[in-house]
Amino acid sequence: MSTDKTIVNLQNTLKIDRSSIKLLPMNEQEISIEKQQILSAVETILKSGISHLSAITCQQLENEFVLLYHFWKSDGLTLRISLDEKCLQIDSICLLIPGAEFYEREAREMFGIEFLGLPNPTPLLLPDGWQGGYPMRKKEQANKENPKDTPRQEKGKSV
Amino acid sequence: MSKITVPIGPQHPLLKEPLSFLVSLEGEKVTDSALRLGYVHRGIEKLAEQRTYIQNVYLIERICGICSHIHSTTFCQSVEALQKIDVPKRGLYIRMLLCELERIHSHLLWLGVLAKNIGLNTLFMYAWRDREIVLNIMEEISGGRVSHAVNIIGGVRVDLNEKHLSLLQDSLKELTVRVDEILRSIENDRSFRARTQKIGHLSLEDIKRYCVVGPVARASGLDFDIRRDAPYAAYDELSFEVPLMTEGDVWARSILRILETIQAIRLCTQIIHNLPDGPVSVTASRKVPAGEVVSRAEAPRGEVFYYVRSDGSQNPARLKIRTPTLTTLITLPGQLKNMQMADVSAVIAGVDLCIACGDR
Repeated sequence: MSTDKTIVNLQNTLKIDRSSIKLLPMNEQEISIEKQQILSAVETILKSGISHLSAITCQQLENEFVLLYHFWKSDGLTLRISLDEKCLQIDSICLLIPGAEFYEREAREMFGIEFLGLPNPTPLLLPDGWQGGYPMRKKEQANKENPKDTPRQEKGKSV
Repeated sequence: MSKITVPIGPQHPLLKEPLSFLVSLEGEKVTDSALRLGYVHRGIEKLAEQRTYIQNVYLIERICGICSHIHSTTFCQSVEALQKIDVPKRGLYIRMLLCELERIHSHLLWLGVLAKNIGLNTLFMYAWRDREIVLNIMEEISGGRVSHAVNIIGGVRVDLNEKHLSLLQDSLKELTVRVDEILRSIENDRSFRARTQKIGHLSLEDIKRYCVVGPVARASGLDFDIRRDAPYAAYDELSFEVPLMTEGDVWARSILRILETIQAIRLCTQIIHNLPDGPVSVTASRKVPAGEVVSRAEAPRGEVFYYVRSDGSQNPARLKIRTPTLTTLITLPGQLKNMQMADVSAVIAGVDLCIACGDR
């Protein structure tokens, strides 16, 4: 695959063993790394000639949040980072890839991940003064964290 | 000189969909701009988690009113990859046919919008008149002009008959003549050049830094097309060229999109001439095995990205969608800087925004 060379570079730089590499359908390889390694991993990927970041996916699992950084050059390469739900902080990669800004801002608003060094941490999708918690989180948790959920509009009444 | 801030949007005659731009001006020159999304945010990613895969095919088509088919194609191919289903060749060809028809329709629609924004109403009417040809074909095949509901998990729901094929052949012939005419007229038109050349320039470095995709990237010289570089459906069986330009301005984007339209017409002709026999779909299970998949496709505006994670149930555990508009939106403040206020409309139209796609 065209991403094999980059994966070898990543293995050498970050000292990752073979077991953290997973093959997904449709020619996609996924590498699990630690959150402290994100900046050096992105630097290595850029140096290896892959400059296209397709998206950043955030998702909430049982006791953790997972960030997936999807790179692409003929084949896909995904970096997988687990974040403990008690410490949802990670370095922003916007200085290396300015195109990541919207993806990070979206993950910040929808899941509450804090990207350290994000150049413009203003709301992108949600309205000003949003009180409804983090919309994409599993429901129980969103309500527990923010009990003042936006009330539903009553029929016939304008807000 | 005193500075003023002009709000463009969320509701503005310039924009076809709601988006907010705050443009700071010094005299007539743009010094800064800030943008804000979310006015058509429908929470489709969250809604998808509460619906079955089959329901989601129809939900996902509603992301966009222009490129609805490519969204369901990308979603279906992700689910099919998880289920390890081989879609019959005829089904794939019909999918590709709709994708290419949609590209023609999207590019002609965009040309109309740009022409209207820069005051060339005749070109707007020509472009939209010719777009009707494609919409009629799509209506004849699927029953819908913009939402086709053609894709199902495991193939497509409609088959092409002799009537469709002869309509396609006649219409594509007519369309070729019309699109050639449009290309000739915009290449030679002085007013069109004056309003679009050296406007909204993006360099190849900027394109790479901002990870821009689609015609905007190709107009700045980035040779990148998912159909050719990572073929999905059956694109590896068709021959086509990927037009490329280096000027990186609105003019280059216009010419490039018309060249792409011509390629799309060629692809449609190839598809109907090489249409394989056989069934158009296979039966797929309602449950999807646990796993995750990343899928990409080339929408009219560039690479569209889907990530699906299944936990083995009937509903997806997570669905992430990244549409091409998000990649071009982020470049707009840079493109607008130091432009004249009168050129803002050409720049905004030039990148072909689809806000509904961007918001989801």
